[in-house]
Amino acid sequence: MKTLLTRPGMIVSALIVIAALALTFAPQLFATHDPYEGIPADQLQPPSAAHWFGTDALGRDLYSRVVYGAFLSLATAGLAVVVGVAIGAVVGLVSGFIGGRVDFVLMRIVDVVIAVPSILLSLIVVAGLGFGAVPVAIGVGIGAAGSFARVTRSQVVRVRTAEYVEAARSMGVRWPAILVRHVFPNSARPVIALAALEVGTAILAVSALSFLGFGAAPPAPEWGALVSYGRDFLATAWWLSVLPGAVILVVVLAVNRLARAIGGER
Amino acid sequence: MKQTGDSRARRALRFIAPRLFQFVFVVWAAYTVTFLLLHLLPGDPLIAALSVKGGDATPTDPAELSELRARYGLDGSVWDQYVTNGLAALRGDLGVSIATGQNVGDMIARALPNTAIVAVLALLIGVVVSLLITYWAFVTRAGWLRNTLLQIPPLGVAIPAFFSGLVLVSIFAYGLGILPSSGTRNPLSPILPAITLAMPVGAIFFQVFSAAVLEARASSYVFTAIAKGVSLPTLFFRHVLRNALLPSITILGLLIGYLAGGTAVVESVFSRDGIGRLTVDAVLARDSNVVQGVVIVVAVVYSVVNLLVDFSYGLTDPRTRPAALRRRVQDARNQAVVER
Repeated sequence: MKTLLTRPGMIVSALIVIAALALTFAPQLFATHDPYEGIPADQLQPPSAAHWFGTDALGRDLYSRVVYGAFLSLATAGLAVVVGVAIGAVVGLVSGFIGGRVDFVLMRIVDVVIAVPSILLSLIVVAGLGFGAVPVAIGVGIGAAGSFARVTRSQVVRVRTAEYVEAARSMGVRWPAILVRHVFPNSARPVIALAALEVGTAILAVSALSFLGFGAAPPAPEWGALVSYGRDFLATAWWLSVLPGAVILVVVLAVNRLARAIGGER
Repeated sequence: MKQTGDSRARRALRFIAPRLFQFVFVVWAAYTVTFLLLHLLPGDPLIAALSVKGGDATPTDPAELSELRARYGLDGSVWDQYVTNGLAALRGDLGVSIATGQNVGDMIARALPNTAIVAVLALLIGVVVSLLITYWAFVTRAGWLRNTLLQIPPLGVAIPAFFSGLVLVSIFAYGLGILPSSGTRNPLSPILPAITLAMPVGAIFFQVFSAAVLEARASSYVFTAIAKGVSLPTLFFRHVLRNALLPSITILGLLIGYLAGGTAVVESVFSRDGIGRLTVDAVLARDSNVVQGVVIVVAVVYSVVNLLVDFSYGLTDPRTRPAALRRRVQDARNQAVVER
C-alpha cells in the first residue's frame, strides 16, 4: 500500500484504466447525449460546457460518441489479446512439450511470423477474412501470437524438466494431467505479463486498422474511426480528430504503465 | 596454425552460406505464410475482390469466372497456385492486380521511391534525435534531468501514428502554413510524414542505444578515462559512441520491418502514394495479388538489410570477425577449463 502511495503515476494510471473499463461496460452512465442522434443546429461546435468534446458535422456530441466507442475499441483489443494468447499458448505448449522435430519446425514458423511486421500480418488476415471488428481482432491477435508462442514455449521447456514434474511423472501421473496441473500454472506468469503489455499494443493496432477503414462500419463510434472521420475537418474543427486521438493515447499510456507493474518492473 | 588460401575461402563461405540460406528462407517463408493466410482463410479471394470492385454487377457466369481466375493466377488447386505463383515470383513476375488490372511489380516499383524517401528520412531523424538526447543525458550532472530525458522517448511507441501525424498537420500545415499537408509533389512533402514515422522508430532505437550507453558509462574503461581527466564530451564521442553503436545496428533490421508497417498508417494520413497506401488500398479492394506482392518485396528488403547488418559487424567491430570470434570462444573454453 505504501509503495502505491509513493507512486502517483501508478494511481493515475489505475484510475484511468478503471474509468476506461467503466465506459466499456456502462456507457449509458457517463454519456451526456445520444451517440447516434445529432442536433443539426449544433453542428461543428467547439468544446464547451454543453458539449465537452464539441460536436461533429451532424451535430452529434463527440464526448458521448467517445464514451460509447470505448466498448468497440477496448473489447476488440481484448478479443485480439485473447486470440493471440490462445494461438500462442497452444503452439508454445505443443512445441515445448513434444520437442524434437515438431518443436524445430514450429519455432522456425514462429520466427517468420515474428519477422513480419505485425500490422502487415493483420492486414493480410483482414484481406483474407473481410472487414469488421471481429476480423480486425483476429488479425491483430495473429499478429501478436508469435511472441506468445515463443514465451510459452520457453516457459514450458523450463518447467518440463523441473523436479516436481519429474516427481509427478515418477509417481505415475499421466502427461495430460501433468500438463494441466503442473506445467500450465507454473508457466503462466510471464505469459500473463506479456499479455498485459500486449493490451496497449492491441488498442493501438485496433484503432489504427479502424482508422484505415477496416473496423466496425460507420456510424459506429470506434475510436480510430472517430479520428479518421475528423481528418476531413482538420483545418476547421481540430477537436474531431485530436480529442479521440488524445483519449487513445492516454488510455494506452495508462495500460502500459500498469502492465509494466504486473511484469514486475517498479 | 598457418592459414592457407583454401581454408580462408572456406571460412568466408562458412560465414556467408548460412546467411544466404537465411535470406532465402525468410523470403520463402514470408511468401508461404501470406499465401496460406490468404488462401486458407474462409472466402474465395477472387469472389471477394470482384464483389468489392463490381458491387452487384459481379460476374457469376462460370465460364467468365474461370477465365478471370486464369488471368489473375487463381486457377487450379491451391497447391498448383502456390507452386506456379512462387516460381513466377522467382522470375520477378508478381502477377496482375485484380482491382486495377496492372502489373503488381510495376505498381510496387512506382510506389517504392516515395516510401523509401520517408523511411530513410524517418530513420535519420530518429537516430539523430536519439543521439542528441542520449548525449545530453550523458553529460548532464543533474540526476533529475537525466531521468526525465531518458523517460521521454519511450512515449513515442505509445503515440498512435495517425494521431501524431494529424496533430503535426494541424500545426504545421493548417496553423502555420509552412509545410504541405498531403501529397508527394512538393519537395518538402516528406518532412511531416518522416517526423511522424520517426517517433515510434526513434523510440525503439533509443531504448537499445541509451541502454548501451548507460552500460558503457558503468564500465571500467570509462572509469579509467574519467580518472585520467578526459572530458565528458570527448569521452562520449571517442569511446562510448563506438561501443554503443554496435548493438544498435543490430536492431536496424527490425526497424525496417517496423518502418514498412508504419508507412501503412502514415501514408494514409498524408495521402502519399507509397507502399503502405498501396497495401491499404489493396486490402480495401481485397486484392490478394497485390498484398502477396507487397509482402514478398518487404521480405526481400528486410532480408537485404539484415544481410548488410550482418556484414557490417565485421567492419565496425573487429572482435566479431569470424577468426576473432573463434579465438574468443577458444579462450573462453580454456578459461572455463582453468577455473574448473
